Amino acid sequence: MNRDRMPPLALVLTLVGAAAMVAPLVWTVLLSLKSNAELLQDTGAAFRGPYTLENYGAILKGDMVFRWLLNSLIVSLGTTAGVLALSSLAGFAFARLDFPFRRTLFVFVLLGLAIPEQAVILPQHRLFAWLGLHNSYPGLILPGLVGSFGVFFMTQYFRGLPRDLDEAAALDGASTFQIFARVLLPLTVPAQATLGVFTFLGSWNAYWWPLISATTSDRFTLTVGLASAQANYAQTNGLGYLMAQAVFASLPILIVYVLFQRQIVNAIGGAVK
Amino acid sequence: MNSLELINVRKAYGKTPVLDDISLALEPREFVAFLGPSGSGKSTLLRIIAGLETADAGEVRLDGRRIDQLPPGDRGVAMVFQHYALYPHMTVRGNMAFGLKNAHVPPAEIAARVAEAARILEIEAHLDKRPGQLSGGQRQRVAIGRAIVKHPRLFLLDEPLSNLDAALRMRTRLELADLRQRVDAAFVMVTHDQAEAMTLADRIVVMNDRRIQQVGAPMEIYLRPANSFVARFVGSPAMNLLPVEPVANGALVRVRLGDGAEVETRVALNGFGGGTLELGLRPENVEVTAPGGGTTDAKVELVERLGERTLVYAKLRSGDEITGEDEGNSRVRVGDVVGLRIKGERAHLFDAQGVGHHAEAGA
Repeated sequence: MNRDRMPPLALVLTLVGAAAMVAPLVWTVLLSLKSNAELLQDTGAAFRGPYTLENYGAILKGDMVFRWLLNSLIVSLGTTAGVLALSSLAGFAFARLDFPFRRTLFVFVLLGLAIPEQAVILPQHRLFAWLGLHNSYPGLILPGLVGSFGVFFMTQYFRGLPRDLDEAAALDGASTFQIFARVLLPLTVPAQATLGVFTFLGSWNAYWWPLISATTSDRFTLTVGLASAQANYAQTNGLGYLMAQAVFASLPILIVYVLFQRQIVNAIGGAVK
Repeated sequence: MNSLELINVRKAYGKTPVLDDISLALEPREFVAFLGPSGSGKSTLLRIIAGLETADAGEVRLDGRRIDQLPPGDRGVAMVFQHYALYPHMTVRGNMAFGLKNAHVPPAEIAARVAEAARILEIEAHLDKRPGQLSGGQRQRVAIGRAIVKHPRLFLLDEPLSNLDAALRMRTRLELADLRQRVDAAFVMVTHDQAEAMTLADRIVVMNDRRIQQVGAPMEIYLRPANSFVARFVGSPAMNLLPVEPVANGALVRVRLGDGAEVETRVALNGFGGGTLELGLRPENVEVTAPGGGTTDAKVELVERLGERTLVYAKLRSGDEITGEDEGNSRVRVGDVVGLRIKGERAHLFDAQGVGHHAEAGA
């Protein structure tokens, strides 16, 4: 969009919208910078000094937060890597290879987009119990790998690449896997970035499955761990400490967002178009 | 030994046949152009030779070796694609080296071959750029370079000049002509541009309607078209084809135009089974003169001034359209009635089956 030509009304509405989005974040940050004792008397104290870093100090001094952070990182990175690998392979196969029941299978993939997590959570839970995978990283990562969206997304992207390239590579003596890995895959980097960012964010923020699958606190992801800490807020740990945990948990997401801002905006822009 | 040999090649997409019993043999180092309109099957034939499509029946041989069951990379052919098909993420050097790496050519030799091709094509300065940083003409050279480095036995060119502007096309045409002198390989080019085919090819294969219509040297195709399709398709503007009636007269055919005028041809009478005939006349053999001063008269409908000559599109009294030629500074205008002097000794006749009959050799 051309910023110079933005109509004033649109600008005002955008600013109002942005303020509404940012306000809770600012409030959270301010709360996290107040002593718990002061907030116990009046939460409005967040809007006046003195501010302190004591809550962040408490987080860094121990507790399970770092463990949960590490768990979230392992699960999110593992899920992202797995989704990118599987979606690329499947997308190439659906877009370029000729195999029996290709169309039928693709319809099944598309149907997968319509099935909500809630519909399969019980059998999924039973399956993972039977496999003995609850309270393990594979137990947290594997369900995230079978998403239809990534396969669909990568199939469409591969379909958009000119077939001339495959043919030129075939004449250059490349095998089918070499055509995939050395000619086409490098051209899907923009799609990989978009899919990767979305998968990472989705996995980082995932709550329901980790809540059900991970029952020991050493396997909690950050979302589940923070939620478990919320149960005793205003009693021992206090509101300020809780907010500091929330800010702390959001930092990786903010970093990912800053690094991949362009891909995220492109992806959402593309989806809206 | 023949270089490329096609033996009874057939191909259909589902129930739609696209190639019908194609046979053709190329001399070593020969340059052959497949010329035909869209849908004539020429591109499919090229892709069958390359191995990008499989024929339903028939054989493809290169230097005596059967290649139609080999994967594309093992056939000893290299192809230049219409849209270049360069790998966008690789440098020019990487593009040219890719096939050689796959063939496990030693790195030192890869470097030498790439350097040699870059020198021939004058793209040495661009070796470390990516295709996106190059102009259309430069990309075309890289595509040609990628083919050269493989030292193929056969070059396949798929409309190689169609994406270039007029000036660049002319230059690249000359460069292709130069290239074929340097390399020890045969060439097959697919094109729908007859000027390209006429200037580059030793022989032209005119294709239409799934079949080869005629194979011959460029001037042979132009001067002795095998049938009315070739007559119409080759040459610009197209050959005039006028319905005529034969008038029996000695050993050579004399014909009567729709408006009653008669033309004495040098086509022998034997071989005609009667029936309708078409008289084929290149516009340069229909000379515009003063009214009443030629074989017949016609009314001018359109005048096209090309500088060194003028094309006059006119209508006979019978309603048949005819194109003639006048000198560059012709004064003919639309609506004028002009005379047309028809050079009967250069005329062709096409019988009811469309088969061409030409003036006796030396006539």
